[in-house]
Amino acid sequence: MRRSIFLIIPALLAGCEGRHNWLASAGAEAQRVEDLFWVLLVGAAVIWGIVIGAAVYAHRRQVDPSLETQARRFILWGGAVFPTVVVGALLVWGLVILRDITSDEGDLTVRVDGERWWWRVIYETPEGDVVTANEIRLPVDRTALFRLTADDVIHSFWVPALGGKMDMIPGRETTLALTPIETGNWGGLCAEYCGGAHALMRFDAIVMEQSAFDSWLEAEAQPAEIAAGDPGFEIFQEEGCGACHTIRGTEAQGPVGPDLTHLASRDKLGAGIYDMTPENMARWITDTHAMKPDIDMPPYPDLQGERLDRLVAFLMSLD
Amino acid sequence: MRHGSDEQPRHFTPPGDAPRVIDQGSVWILVAAPSIWAAHFLLSYWVAAIWCAKAGPMASLVEPRWIIVALGLISAALIAWLGVIAVRRYGGVFVIFEEITESSERGRDRFVGHVALLLCVLSVVAIGFTVIPGLVFATC
Repeated sequence: MRRSIFLIIPALLAGCEGRHNWLASAGAEAQRVEDLFWVLLVGAAVIWGIVIGAAVYAHRRQVDPSLETQARRFILWGGAVFPTVVVGALLVWGLVILRDITSDEGDLTVRVDGERWWWRVIYETPEGDVVTANEIRLPVDRTALFRLTADDVIHSFWVPALGGKMDMIPGRETTLALTPIETGNWGGLCAEYCGGAHALMRFDAIVMEQSAFDSWLEAEAQPAEIAAGDPGFEIFQEEGCGACHTIRGTEAQGPVGPDLTHLASRDKLGAGIYDMTPENMARWITDTHAMKPDIDMPPYPDLQGERLDRLVAFLMSLD
Repeated sequence: MRHGSDEQPRHFTPPGDAPRVIDQGSVWILVAAPSIWAAHFLLSYWVAAIWCAKAGPMASLVEPRWIIVALGLISAALIAWLGVIAVRRYGGVFVIFEEITESSERGRDRFVGHVALLLCVLSVVAIGFTVIPGLVFATC
């Protein structure tokens, strides 16, 4: 039994490292919470040690009635006054952190709409909204204000390494400010059970230098570049894909599914779960529900051979 | 006892002679301090909720602070008054390990006073913890 406990420890600790690590402190907000966590952890360990030590000492020592008054005073100060002061101080500290990391202002505003089971992402720019999906890019050392909504059920927006989390509630808007302080590709996920494919509702939060971010956003704002008479785009339209998906700059303006204008520029397919490769794309189209159960997109098993290859080639050209 | 009967209940107390609330022989003093704490919590919550509902989601919460602080001070003063009653009328003492084993009216009074005094301290601390968020947060 004892050995089996040791065997599962590495599996449990595996959640403590990597791109989903909430102790990575890649964001200013996460950093504040992490500071509080370490103080709580060390403080709790010290207090626990003192309490257990006192219990062992009391158990081993002979009763000495002459120390009665002293012992009672120790319990009054150590058991009532000290915890009250500590809890009061932690309350003030926690509230100050909460006050500091909650903000309704940011250097840029990103609206994120939780859908079953993907993320509609809209960057607000002076030139207008830039719509994308399932991948959030942020400039380092800038505060991004997320305005969060949900389309169907309650979701929760969480990038553990940067901070958060915040519920996304249908019919109302919640806000979350995140200030990344370290570049990198951090993992984001839905942290509120939202149905069948909840565990597959993920996204990449890519933190970039300001200049790289500006170039990316500018490119993202452009419509898709599609060659006239592209056979892949014709298949896309014939199969009715444009009824649900938008490719800006074309007549495909469906509002239901993720915007595909720059689909191939994303690292992942299917809301942060598969690498963006032609093989995965082909399988996603023909065997959709095996890759992600319950989603609204229907599979197209009859689409095979050259037609499938052309469609995949077209989609992979949307960068 | 049947309703409508002319017969007096056995322990009928004539009007005017019933034990007064928070007086000797009454245990109301035990629930008074936690009730003030509960009332303070509820009133503070109402003040902030109504203010924020009227002023908008990220409106300033600085103005109603004095109401929350005043409510806290009034509640603390009321509890201090209860504490004085617990000491003077009931003979309560602020000693954590007070042993009251005597089976007498006086012993029962002292026990009630002792518990009431400890509850007063707990309630004042709790009211303090309710006031602190009102002082820290500047916006709804």
